[in-house]
Amino acid sequence: MLSVKLLWRNWRSGELRLLAMAILLAVAVVSAINIFTQRLEVALIAQSNTFLGADRIIRSSHPASAEQHAQAAKAGMRQARTVQFSSMTFAGERMHLASVKAVSETYPLLGQLELSEQAFSKNPAQLEQVVGAPKPGTAWVDSRILPLLDIEIGDAIGVGEIDLKVSKVIVREPDRGDSFSLFGARVMINLKDLAATEVVQPGSRIQYNWLLAAADEPLHKFLNELSLSDHQKVIDLQAAQRGLSRTLGTGRQFLSLAGMIGVLLAGVAIAIAAQQFARRHTDQVALLKSLGASAWKVRMLYASQLFIIAALASLVGVLAGELIQRLISSAVSAIYPLELAAAPLSAYFIGALTGMVCLVFFALPPLWYLPTVSPLKVLRRELSANNVSRWMQGLLGCSAVFFLVWIYSQDIKLTASILVAFLCLALVAGLLALLLLQLGRRLGMKAGSSWRLAWSNLQRYRAQSVMQILVFATAIMLLIVITVVRTSLIDEWKFSLPEDAPNHFFVNISAAELESVEAILKQRQISHNGLYPMVRGRIVKVNQQPPTAQQKSNSSIFRRESNLSWSQALPLKNEITSGLWWDQWQAAEPGLAGVSVERELAEELDLKLGDKLGFSIGGLALEAEIASFRSLNWDTMQPNFYFLFSPGTLKSYSPSYMTSVYIPNQEKRILNTLLRNHPTMLVIEMDLVIEQIQKLTQQVSDGVELVLALVLLGGIMVLLAAVNASMDYRMQEAGILRALGSTAKRILGSTFLEFFMLGILAGLIAVLGAEILLIGLQHWVLELPLQPHYWSWVLGPLFGGALVASLGLWASRAAVSVPPAVVLREL
Amino acid sequence: MLSAINLGKTVATAEGPLAILDSINFTITAGASLAIIGASGSGKSTLLGILAGLDTPSSGEVELDGQQLSCLDEEGRARVRAASVGFVFQSFQLLPGLSALENVMLPLELHGVNQAEAKASRFLRRVGLEHRMQHYPKQLSGGEQQRVAIARAFASEPRVLFADEPTGNLDSKTGAKVIELLFELNQEQGTTLVLVTHEKRLAERCQRRIELDGGRLLHDSALVNTAEPALC
Repeated sequence: MLSVKLLWRNWRSGELRLLAMAILLAVAVVSAINIFTQRLEVALIAQSNTFLGADRIIRSSHPASAEQHAQAAKAGMRQARTVQFSSMTFAGERMHLASVKAVSETYPLLGQLELSEQAFSKNPAQLEQVVGAPKPGTAWVDSRILPLLDIEIGDAIGVGEIDLKVSKVIVREPDRGDSFSLFGARVMINLKDLAATEVVQPGSRIQYNWLLAAADEPLHKFLNELSLSDHQKVIDLQAAQRGLSRTLGTGRQFLSLAGMIGVLLAGVAIAIAAQQFARRHTDQVALLKSLGASAWKVRMLYASQLFIIAALASLVGVLAGELIQRLISSAVSAIYPLELAAAPLSAYFIGALTGMVCLVFFALPPLWYLPTVSPLKVLRRELSANNVSRWMQGLLGCSAVFFLVWIYSQDIKLTASILVAFLCLALVAGLLALLLLQLGRRLGMKAGSSWRLAWSNLQRYRAQSVMQILVFATAIMLLIVITVVRTSLIDEWKFSLPEDAPNHFFVNISAAELESVEAILKQRQISHNGLYPMVRGRIVKVNQQPPTAQQKSNSSIFRRESNLSWSQALPLKNEITSGLWWDQWQAAEPGLAGVSVERELAEELDLKLGDKLGFSIGGLALEAEIASFRSLNWDTMQPNFYFLFSPGTLKSYSPSYMTSVYIPNQEKRILNTLLRNHPTMLVIEMDLVIEQIQKLTQQVSDGVELVLALVLLGGIMVLLAAVNASMDYRMQEAGILRALGSTAKRILGSTFLEFFMLGILAGLIAVLGAEILLIGLQHWVLELPLQPHYWSWVLGPLFGGALVASLGLWASRAAVSVPPAVVLREL
Repeated sequence: MLSAINLGKTVATAEGPLAILDSINFTITAGASLAIIGASGSGKSTLLGILAGLDTPSSGEVELDGQQLSCLDEEGRARVRAASVGFVFQSFQLLPGLSALENVMLPLELHGVNQAEAKASRFLRRVGLEHRMQHYPKQLSGGEQQRVAIARAFASEPRVLFADEPTGNLDSKTGAKVIELLFELNQEQGTTLVLVTHEKRLAERCQRRIELDGGRLLHDSALVNTAEPALC
């Protein structure tokens, strides 16, 4: 009970406020970051899974068995089925090779279909969001099929043996993004109508998708227990969207890094506040001991006070964190169409745990030795109090950093990287700070009186100055790191998807149509990314040997036709990983064609440079020698080919042409003109997919910005705590100087300079530390290219100087506004 | 009640060991008052610290209320202080965050005394501060602060009260009032009083005075009982 009373009295006297505020803010910042990022992450994963229309897809050339469906139902999976194939569709005299998708009533499991009764409409008022399949006997279609078949909504379209009424057009289909290879316009029908079409025959190329959705745990359990047939393949976001999952992955890493840095900053603030609390309480402890309190009793009194304050601060902190994240979330929702999911309870728990972890690692060490204060101090105030040895504090600090970093990142590489940077920083920075102080003093002595006073102050309290520089440097370093990482990430995302990235593919343009297509595009000032000739062909031999049954079952490339092309120049974003490009390559036998193969495919097929591949192109044979292997960037919206031949090789196989173009939204009706004039040409609309990816990227970067703002708050808190910790002696000194007749202006001037110089020195050291840390982070963890950050060498010290000086001045204003007599009497 | 037997205190300095106290012997009986006087640096405060169990001697023994302090560790000495000792300091040593009443309550609460508040109020009224109970130290004058300290010291009803220059920070008029109060309470409660002072007027109020010079006992106003208790 006594500890509660003492706690209340200490609280009332303001002694505990700084410590409590530091813990509260730590918990609030961490909770807000954690709850918000968890919500964001859950939302992003859910939203990104709508790219699949499900959490997982089991894809196969055969339907899943009834037993498998029963097993899934028993395991509580939500299920849907889609069947995809290409089929000729008819209306009167017109026909179009469409990409037909028969869907079950529960499709899509995640996300929604966007439909409209107006062709080519993007007007939100004309759109409706739907989950489900078209009614039996009806079909939903892509707008562009209407001009192709010259029909209107309400007309009939022939699919196989049946006619279906077109009831709506499809504006957006959540899982469209994974169907790059299906070229025709979409015709979506009810799965119940599939049999009647009689399209599905033995040997037809059909893709059966079994969509599954469930919470993580049961889903993993189910997938582990499910025995898949040889044909079945599990598709997750990783497999479906490589670029997207990378964006999410780095985004998640950044958020956990930011959360962790928030904790570290708050931890430093707590340590400083606790140190200050301990210093101010040595007299109180000496008095308690002189009154007969044993060291154990004193320790219990202080420990219980601390735990109570930490528990209360954590509770309030979690609530404040929840409030902050709600504010952020509602601000986000008001600006961006982001639907945040509820955070898991663990997010709240981590916030509360942070309070206790911070208390144990940062606040207890300075206070632990408080009970060893000699009671004799009541008689002889000059006696110094025992303190934790510097080594012990350093060791505890390192353990705290290691433990917290590990908890937050779950990544040992990141943890090691941060810890090594911390140790390097501490070692180098201490020496550097001393050196700079020495150097600065020489310069300062030649300057005006305010400068002299400021430098002599820094010199006099050298140990304290070095400590403050280290603390400021740590805070500034972490802020630089987080800013740089954020900027690199966002830049990288934006770079990988430029605004005018091609958003439409035109395929199957005949040589005779080239001129006319180019003319239509030119008329609307739309430029294309080069016309690639293309023929369809299948690999039939490797080094004169037909593929074995094993090879055939291992790779689908032997079982289907591929797009073959040739090019004089190496296409954009392609890189030769081994072998030579055409300008340097020479065939082993005169007249033998060369082919450049995509690297991953080559690895899958175990191909080597110089191997000879036999292709069958419309029944004609072609042999080519492998000249090089290439890596491709699938994230770019450019035509990409597994096989690129030496120039001219395929000319005699009557190629069609393909290209990719960027068509702005308002120009989309150009498709009508193009398709009416060139009905055999296929258009693949990638704009919807790109839009989805860009929206997601934007959301991740917005989340990142907000988290950065919270971390900045943590940094400022550390600076304030550090400034506050030095206030006692500053107040005393200002009191003496004012009593001796110094003007407030002069005192403020020298205080400003003192803090400014502390900030500049801290900024210099911070930049050095940040570069070391960034090298580790960028190289090993985030796998971003290494870059020097020249701006930080200028901005770091300046920002440090300005920030520390303004915080210092703000905190020191009492030193000149309170009468000197009061200041001196109180201390 | 309180005995010093061959007390010595030596500290190490750069120039070698320095004796702060040397062969101090005296005994005072329960309820008596003793003034320790001497010039600055004569070892008065060091002696007070050792007698009260706040510090340990380099040699010799202190017997306080029947307990040999050298047999006890810091925890044991704390128990003795809790049971038998009260302090009044030159610098008052009030906790700035606590009101006058709470400052007086602190030792009572620490020792788990029932009705600490009632008792503390009674002692504050006794020292004439009934109107200042809720005031904080910085809102009180020096004399008032020292009266709070005296109330705090007597509230836990110690058998021995140690006072270190209790009037050192007060003007002579206020100092006189504080001295008066100290002796009145000493009389009322039968407390043994040991005080360090360089104020002649204060020293003369005590039944016995010992004077230190360079750490040695220069003068004792009474005969010294040198019967040595058994060492542990």
